[in-house]
Amino acid sequence: MSDLLELLVSATASGCVYGLVALAYLLVLRPTGVVNFASGEWAMMGAFAAYVLAGMLEVPTVVAIPGAVLVLAVIGWATEWFTVRPLVERGAGHLAPILALLGMLVIYHQATLLVFGGENYPLDGPFGFNRVELGPFAGTSQSFFIIVMTAVIFVAVWLFFERTVWGKSFEAVAINRRAAALMGINLRLVTALSFAGGAAVAAMAGLLDGPRGSVEVNAALPFAVQGFSALIIGGINRVEGAILGGIILAFAEDLTRRYVPIPSGLALGVTPVLLIAFLLVRPTGLLRAKEAG
Amino acid sequence: MGIARTMIGAGLRVLGVAGLATGVMAGAANAADTIKIGVITDKTGNARFYAEPVLQGIMLATKIANANGGVLGKKIELLIEDDSNKPDVSASKAQKLIDAGVVAIISNSSSTATQQAQNTTIKTLIPQVTHNGSDTLTRKLDNKCFFQIGPLGSIQIRTLMAYARSKKLKTASLVTDNSALGQILAKYFKIGLEKSGVKVTVEEVIPAGSKSALPQMQKVRAAKTDAIFVAGVLARENTLFFRAYRQLGLKQPIMGSFNLSIPTFLRTAKGLMEGVTFIDAMDPAKPEAQAFIAAYQKEFGKKPFSLPAYGWDDMNFLIQAIKRAGSTDKAKLCAALQGSTGWAGALGAKGTAYDFSKGRAGFNPQGAVVRVIKNNDHGPVVHSGTK
Repeated sequence: MSDLLELLVSATASGCVYGLVALAYLLVLRPTGVVNFASGEWAMMGAFAAYVLAGMLEVPTVVAIPGAVLVLAVIGWATEWFTVRPLVERGAGHLAPILALLGMLVIYHQATLLVFGGENYPLDGPFGFNRVELGPFAGTSQSFFIIVMTAVIFVAVWLFFERTVWGKSFEAVAINRRAAALMGINLRLVTALSFAGGAAVAAMAGLLDGPRGSVEVNAALPFAVQGFSALIIGGINRVEGAILGGIILAFAEDLTRRYVPIPSGLALGVTPVLLIAFLLVRPTGLLRAKEAG
Repeated sequence: MGIARTMIGAGLRVLGVAGLATGVMAGAANAADTIKIGVITDKTGNARFYAEPVLQGIMLATKIANANGGVLGKKIELLIEDDSNKPDVSASKAQKLIDAGVVAIISNSSSTATQQAQNTTIKTLIPQVTHNGSDTLTRKLDNKCFFQIGPLGSIQIRTLMAYARSKKLKTASLVTDNSALGQILAKYFKIGLEKSGVKVTVEEVIPAGSKSALPQMQKVRAAKTDAIFVAGVLARENTLFFRAYRQLGLKQPIMGSFNLSIPTFLRTAKGLMEGVTFIDAMDPAKPEAQAFIAAYQKEFGKKPFSLPAYGWDDMNFLIQAIKRAGSTDKAKLCAALQGSTGWAGALGAKGTAYDFSKGRAGFNPQGAVVRVIKNNDHGPVVHSGTK
């Protein structure tokens, strides 16, 4: 039983990372309708930004974390400004921004590879990896830190969308861009903020996950795949769906590896199987979009 | 202070490389009076992890040889080509180097790329040297001028299994990742363990991109085996392995492949690898290794790991053969390389030397060593040889 509870803590932390990447997808997808597969690169770059600040420049963690998030927010903003906006304003088709962002994915990846090489870099967590026991639940301090930080981020984003006029303007753009524009909502600003926010949240995923293993360029693809799968599982229209999907995915992966009597290599199939199953059976995900009004 | 240290460190590294380059290129101004040696290396592909430190050793050996007057009265000039670890590119780079007039080629890339380059070098019988440990490189082609100086994969496995036998293990867990090399190593580990009478009761894979190795390591803990063998090669996934091992309070000895000799693990799994044993090719107690370590420390101001020693031996193996041949004629050089028995390099256990009398893979079968991680550093040799 103690094995299971310890595993659940670890899986919840993994699910939180998936959920944050899913949220990064969702923040861009909702107001723009654009699936940004570069979200995984943003997460990887967030980890590198934290490594540069905390590992190389030896900036204190309390500064390095917001610093890395800010760097990625600026990158997200710039991506929208230079890549997506010109296409939208020239009336390019719906597919054009998605393809442009795929191009950006390659640029992000190769640029990071050029600067940092294929090496793995260590990133220290703010509280280390001491064993922490909360009642029957045991895990590392980094796992609990990931869970707490993710909870704070999701509550903040949920409150933003549900309780603020700015959040409602995002919702309005998501429902009907043209009507929102006619109502005086600044579409450019909403779109730019959605990219900046998406990149910032992805950066959090990367820098929270980095201390568990290491920081490396190749981490981007798993982030992108697991985050997208979590988004599909939880539902593409609800903030709560992103974290729900992330945790379900992580539980499915870890519990399969631990308890299902198949070679652990085959457990790799859990993510694609779940993704395909949801796309076939429930493409809207577990949580459906709220009714307008 | 931190940034200053970082900047100074980076500056010193640049100066070190620049210094090496100066020494290596010293003869370039008088190209006709130089002995050109080609190097096919991976600077941009997925083998550059290994290739870059090895290249450092090649350049250092060249610089020192040139500083001591060169070879046969001529300076050595390195012509370095990047193959990105792509076999087709490696073959074309070999041709490019041959056309440029090199007297020999050092292959510092993966076994497949090295094999492909061999398809080119065999046509002209230009001497080709590699430290690559693949067992098949000297078997697939009857290339009389192709020589391997590194420990073959089979020697590495046999050495680790000999060490395992000395520990009287009965059961073992086997953990790897889903990379191609990790899978191959795991396969040979299993065969070797079973031949040694050790039963593999748990086999676990930590896939690339995993966020935790806790599920796999809980299964390892439940199996209560005598030891854990690590065949994985991916740095991130191996770090997850070591983290889960510590988190779960496991105590079984960990034995790993030569991949754990890569210094990256000491950074990403800092403090997690104490007591881990791994296969290596360099014995710091060997006088020839000590000479290499001293030269490296003088040049770079830090202690080397074993990878640059592979490059050091590649180059010195060629240099001693050219001296003995008294010529750079390729037939004479091939004969001298083949007759290099008894030459001791930085690689190999104390008291061992290369032996090319029985074949073109000359690393002494008793030369691989098992070392232990101590104080987050590659510590002393705890075992050597396959017996």
